Amino acid sequence: MKKIDKSVADAYFREKNTYMIIYFVIWAIVSYGVVAIAEPLSTFTFNGFPFHYFMGAQGALAVFIILLFVNAIVGDKIDKKYGIDEKKNEEIGSKTTQNH
Amino acid sequence: MDSQFIVSLIIILATFALYIWIAVINNAKGTSDFYVAGRGVPSVYNGMAIGADWMSAASFIGMAGTIMVLGYDGLAYIMGWTGGYLLLTFLLAPQLRKSGSYTVPEFIGDRFGSKTALIIAAICTMIISFTYSIGQLSGSGVVIGRLFKIDAGLGTMIGVVLIAIYAAFGGMKGITWTQVAQYIVLIVAYLVPVIFMSLQITGNPLPWLSYGHIVSELGELDRALGLSEYFAPFENGTKWQFLALMFTLMCGTAGLPHVITRFYTVKTMKAARWSGAWALLFIALLYFSAPAYAAFSRFILMTQVAGSKIAELPAWTKTWVDTGLLSVADQNGDGILQWAELVIKNDIVVMATPEIANLGAFVIGLVAAGAMAAALSTAGGLLIAISSAFAHDIYYRILKPTATDKQRLNVGRITIIIATLLAGIVALNPPGAITQIVAWAFALATGTFFPALVLGVWWRRGNSKGTIAGMVIGLAVTLAYIFAAKYGGFTILGIIDTGAGVFGAIAAFAANIIVSLSTKPPSQEIQDYVTNLRYPEQMTYKDGEVHMTE
Repeated sequence: MKKIDKSVADAYFREKNTYMIIYFVIWAIVSYGVVAIAEPLSTFTFNGFPFHYFMGAQGALAVFIILLFVNAIVGDKIDKKYGIDEKKNEEIGSKTTQNH
Repeated sequence: MDSQFIVSLIIILATFALYIWIAVINNAKGTSDFYVAGRGVPSVYNGMAIGADWMSAASFIGMAGTIMVLGYDGLAYIMGWTGGYLLLTFLLAPQLRKSGSYTVPEFIGDRFGSKTALIIAAICTMIISFTYSIGQLSGSGVVIGRLFKIDAGLGTMIGVVLIAIYAAFGGMKGITWTQVAQYIVLIVAYLVPVIFMSLQITGNPLPWLSYGHIVSELGELDRALGLSEYFAPFENGTKWQFLALMFTLMCGTAGLPHVITRFYTVKTMKAARWSGAWALLFIALLYFSAPAYAAFSRFILMTQVAGSKIAELPAWTKTWVDTGLLSVADQNGDGILQWAELVIKNDIVVMATPEIANLGAFVIGLVAAGAMAAALSTAGGLLIAISSAFAHDIYYRILKPTATDKQRLNVGRITIIIATLLAGIVALNPPGAITQIVAWAFALATGTFFPALVLGVWWRRGNSKGTIAGMVIGLAVTLAYIFAAKYGGFTILGIIDTGAGVFGAIAAFAANIIVSLSTKPPSQEIQDYVTNLRYPEQMTYKDGEVHMTE
């Protein structure tokens, strides 16, 4: 185990959080935001759907899935940037089963 | 006994045999297997297991019907029951995994250094999971009962015996792998009928691309009848109720113990992130399809059933009228069935589709097996949650910390059997409709665990007194609002009992924050524990310093 500067660990945390906030803003807009303005949106159509219905039934859900995969992929990239090795994480993770 | 019944029976028995076989070969060998599946489940399979665990009898049988009846307002369930996975995956899952706990109450006990908090959390877990499982066992009773034309209660007890066997045997490891199999069964069973219906009605085998036009056509049909359009927003409740319901369902997702424990079964924080992504993808396959079922069924009912002569209704309507889920009347005596004279219950939409689309005995049996898979998989996850709350959190951590691995396993197994029996007995005479019972469980989770966990993970200053206050007050406010709205007609901004979680969460967050700030902060050791959760496993934070494992 080597000691590293806390500022490095904090930079990791901040980077992760910045992305997370972006994801949550998008999440809120496609769900709560669209519902809030459902009436005016209902005048447009998309693939035969009234637009507000499309967002509620398909659009929001598709965005949720994309955000989760983006989070997973970007999370891996950030880990790599800070020199985190998944094999080491697995070793450490498996040790916690013995604490009980 | 007709051939349809025999085919259905064979398919269901074959799937049951598969589940038991999987449980036997995954027989739990130690508490790590029993509670967290040995922590070795790959993310993709864990995602499927989460999907099956998540989609219960209510989703499989009831949701398409709910959307058909409520129109646009029903979409709050679609967004509410999926959007919560972002809350769970971003805010809680990786951090809870790093903590190394086996259960949610254990995490709360360790994080706050408080046995009282652990016990309250264990009790809340048992209440929420028990409530939810009553709905599942009751649902499986209905399916088996309708299929074999036996009493639904007997069907419930059959479900109870089955679950007790494979849950007690394999514990979390057996349940997880059984759920992978159950996911495959349920998703195939759900998708086959709707794909065929799409082909028959629109000529396009992809229902998700084709049903949009049907939705618009339904609106035209409604306008011609002088009714509000199928897709018109907020016809069944206020905009506030929609938003409150969506909020309750999303936050409840992130606060349900049996869902959170699923993220303890993976190897690392990274695996937890990926599990969340895969889980939502697998769940979405069903959720994208439910509104399609609703639209197609309503279309068929409006165009092929309504408007026909009563003497010439399609053959499948007769069997469903016999079950009481469909009723036809001729109030104006003209011999023709008007849309207003047709009464439909929610359950019919998914279960009747194979007959409406003329798909044959095999698909009918498959859909029944799918409904059973959905009910059993969720019930299994819930019973493990109850068992771990008692056997691990209360028995091992509080009552008898010197218990051996073998003793703990035995207590775990016995608890599952007892809990299953008790839930089955209550399910014989359930206190409400399945979706209603499930909605209450969500509201309770939103009012208790969601605030406690989010503040526990993200706010170092949060202490045990604050969390205890938060959980107790959240529970009280949620229960009070549910009763007041349901029995007293009391609502705020039109929000009914299913949206009660909003008020519980607000009260819980407020109580937690106020009480934490008014009492002394947690020890430095605990604050360090919380800071440590921010970083990946390789970085450990202790005493103001960060160390990286090489």
